[in-house]
Amino acid sequence: MMKRINILSAEQISIQKPLCEDWMDAPLSFTENYVRCTDPDFRQFIFAGEARRMGRLLKRALATSLTALAKGGMEHPDAIITGTGFGSVENTELFLDAMVREGESLLKPTQFMQSTHNTTSSLISIHTGSHGYNSTYSQKHLSFDCALHDAWLQLRLGRIHSALVGAHDEMTPVFHTFMRKARFLPDFDICSEAAVSLLLSDEASDKSLCTLGGVWMKSRPSSDEILAALRRMLEENGLDTEDVGAVMTGMDGSEADADYAFLDQALPGAAKLRYRPLFGDCFSAPALGVYAACHCLSRGKIPAALMFSAGDRNTCGKAILVVNIAQRRHCSLTLLCGN
Amino acid sequence: MPDSRSVYISGSGIVCAAGLCTREVLSTLLAGTCGIAPVRYLQTGHREFPVGEVKLSDALMCDRLGIPEDEITTRTALQGMMALGEALENAGLSREDLRSAGFISGTTVGGMDRSENCYLDFIENDSKNAYLRTHDCGSCSEMIADHFGDFAFIETISTACSSAANAIGLAAEMIRAGEAEIVVAGGAECITRFHLNGFNTLMILDRRPCRPFDAERAGLNLGEGAAYLVLESEESLRRRGASPLARLSGYGNACDAFHQTASSPDGEGAYLAMCKALDDAGLRPEDIDYINAHGTGTPNNDLSESRAMLRLFGEKLPPMSSTKSITGHTTSASGAIESVICLLALREKFLPVNYGWSTPMAEVPVRPNMDISRGTVLRHVLCNSFGFGGNDSSLVISAL
Repeated sequence: MMKRINILSAEQISIQKPLCEDWMDAPLSFTENYVRCTDPDFRQFIFAGEARRMGRLLKRALATSLTALAKGGMEHPDAIITGTGFGSVENTELFLDAMVREGESLLKPTQFMQSTHNTTSSLISIHTGSHGYNSTYSQKHLSFDCALHDAWLQLRLGRIHSALVGAHDEMTPVFHTFMRKARFLPDFDICSEAAVSLLLSDEASDKSLCTLGGVWMKSRPSSDEILAALRRMLEENGLDTEDVGAVMTGMDGSEADADYAFLDQALPGAAKLRYRPLFGDCFSAPALGVYAACHCLSRGKIPAALMFSAGDRNTCGKAILVVNIAQRRHCSLTLLCGN
Repeated sequence: MPDSRSVYISGSGIVCAAGLCTREVLSTLLAGTCGIAPVRYLQTGHREFPVGEVKLSDALMCDRLGIPEDEITTRTALQGMMALGEALENAGLSREDLRSAGFISGTTVGGMDRSENCYLDFIENDSKNAYLRTHDCGSCSEMIADHFGDFAFIETISTACSSAANAIGLAAEMIRAGEAEIVVAGGAECITRFHLNGFNTLMILDRRPCRPFDAERAGLNLGEGAAYLVLESEESLRRRGASPLARLSGYGNACDAFHQTASSPDGEGAYLAMCKALDDAGLRPEDIDYINAHGTGTPNNDLSESRAMLRLFGEKLPPMSSTKSITGHTTSASGAIESVICLLALREKFLPVNYGWSTPMAEVPVRPNMDISRGTVLRHVLCNSFGFGGNDSSLVISAL
């Protein structure tokens, strides 16, 4: 029997109302194609003096992390693992801009210190006094999946018993134009920001939103490989394809949606959900898909705003599969199971 | 017969200031010379800082790799390709083998070398947009991997100067968990103006060749390069009829949780990482025959690391050196570059020296190794990589 891995809490700061699930009943809608996060009042998490020296990405990461830890009833997770596509772009941009325009003198150390991708995991460890496993992944839209997979691996190997797993990306106006020019997002997608934290534990708990049944990643998989991986994952959790009520996807209406076509064969009766109309897109946005699926399973309902195409069963069923296909090459499957 | 969870090293590749391939690096190490020199390739006003550059222009690297000069690449990716090519060849892996092999690479600045030169174009026009797709860390690993084929998965770790060590550690964990049979892991990072200036704002660059663990040490010299290890399960080796070079027997990852860029005075994170790596390998401190220290040459790191080593090893500190005195601090690649150096020491039976050291530190009874001691049989070696943010990791490499 496989070890049960509970997701004790899942928190977000996004373009929806932060640190709550109001989006489930009262989702905000957007007409602009670039929307930044709605920030909570950070004073409840960070002293003002400390906050002044901290970029937005770090403040958000601390807020989602500390909230996830508080809700999960834990102070020191065994591991802190973060995914980020671009890292702290606010500080990177300030340092780079000053260096290119004003030359190689009078540059600011704080901007450099906060520009490295691992600043987030590091800050959370300093803030919570956690000396355990600490890592950071940066693989564009797959960054969060890599972080979650690492936690999954270490929990299964028994190296750790709990993990705070997050994904954090911010988007300055300059980097928003870079995202568009690089064609990392289609023009019509909302370019957004995301800060997401999940707390995982392999100990029994009455707080669990749902359980993590598996994470699988593959570059350029064939449909057969995906189907085989899905079958294995369901089997390991004692589930049949009919038990999967819904599939959370990153579909956005672009031609890349064709990459999700295998689902018609793999899980013919499952509802197809998409998180992007609600949360927009950025390298950390796939974490919001997992976050949203956790809360759907926990409450046993699927908000209409997430629904892309109804299936035979428009309930969560026993499990939600989260499928993330990015840049038409990276693919991940994450299986979330109801309690 | 080792247990089924053993992880073997079946190939390696390296490029750094000490040489453009394993053979060249080995001859530098055996000759007791050093690759650190005045700035030659990086376009910077800071000519006062010596660096450990890979002694090739981007154009010459393209030439060696058979890449047209106008193809979109970055210096980090070119160095990564050189090292990965050597590692794959060394392990005898074919293009077909890669379809079931993973690739995990560490980098922090990614494509910043191009971004810092194209930044104003990115803002003002569309002439350099192609380089926007090479800026991020993930793209860097994809570029390196794609040059050789279609890896089963690609992941990028970005934990600053311990990135490559964590990439190697993760690869080992995946093999142990039965998730993969072959994973190629390491790191790549070229010198950029961005991080040369960043380190300069932190006032930790030495204007003289760096002197790790010396009383007079005054900072680090930035280096660049790439290295990869091919990690493989026993079953896979048997199936391929391939012979292993050594075992990756231990990995430890801990967090100092002290400061964003400074190490704690007692080196708590470093101590924990080394302890975890030894535990993981099932070894005691006295089993370690050589330590390749993180040893950046900054007053803070070397004292903190020394205290952590003394805490773990007591009076029986094994021979220890920082080969950053030869390669410069190759940041995200350092864990892999130094793992390859450890592998060489193990295979070729010598102790790498701490180039340029002369004066013992007053605070701690720690003296780095200065004698190459040819013929020394090493059973287990420990390799330390510590990053900003207290991301501390250690690897244990063992003889077969």
